[in-house]
Amino acid sequence: MAVPKRKMSRSNTRHRRSQWKASVPKLVKTVENGRVVYSQPHQAKLVTDSAGSPLFYEYKGRKVADA
Amino acid sequence: MPTPTKGPRLGGSPSHEKMMLANLSANLFEHRAITTTLTKAKRLRPYAERLITMAKQGDIAARRRVVGKISANSATNQAIVHELFTVIAPAMAEREGGYTRIVKIGNRKGDNAPMAVIELVMEPVSPKQAVVKEAEQATATPAAQPAQEEATEVESTEVESTEAQTTETDSADTATTESESAPAESTEAEGQK
Repeated sequence: MAVPKRKMSRSNTRHRRSQWKASVPKLVKTVENGRVVYSQPHQAKLVTDSAGSPLFYEYKGRKVADA
Repeated sequence: MPTPTKGPRLGGSPSHEKMMLANLSANLFEHRAITTTLTKAKRLRPYAERLITMAKQGDIAARRRVVGKISANSATNQAIVHELFTVIAPAMAEREGGYTRIVKIGNRKGDNAPMAVIELVMEPVSPKQAVVKEAEQATATPAAQPAQEEATEVESTEVESTEAQTTETDSADTATTESESAPAESTEAEGQK
């Protein structure tokens, strides 16, 4: 197994980690029953009942899969 | 012809991939829709659609090719091949390709793998709405042309242009009303859900 020869300095570690970046997800905005809802494009959407419990996945008006 | 797959085989070896695709397609034909990873669904699509094309040929040679592909040694798989040839293939008779549909359903809990549902498109074929509109316009214009020919030759160019405009606006009006009515229905349907 490959083993590091030298200790990695705190500076090098922190410089490396400073390059980690989060990316903003692409979302589409729709209005459902007067409420603004954000969802991912080209992906089935989870349909919930009024209490918020999941019912099924829906895409383009078609039931796709169970929750 | 489907394009050859790039990159490593599914499951690590060519034989493993062969078995995987056979089992996935057998289960797809048995259950009509299966949930799997997006990568496997995309690999399965050309494989399964080719089997359906063979099933649509329907002769004994095609059946033997399918049996060889999905390893129909067991009674279950023999039943699946029978169902493919007697139920699925006749349902796809009018459809010219595009027998399956892949819908992404988000990432799996545990390894965050993107998942998808791949299903057989069993609905009867409906013609594309753009083609329907074009056909309606084609039938509408011959009816307008005899009226244009009756007009005098001097004014014919002007009359033709005006009449053409009116027919265009009429067809545009009908098109807009149709398009307006359809989204209203869809929003109502969403509201009910």
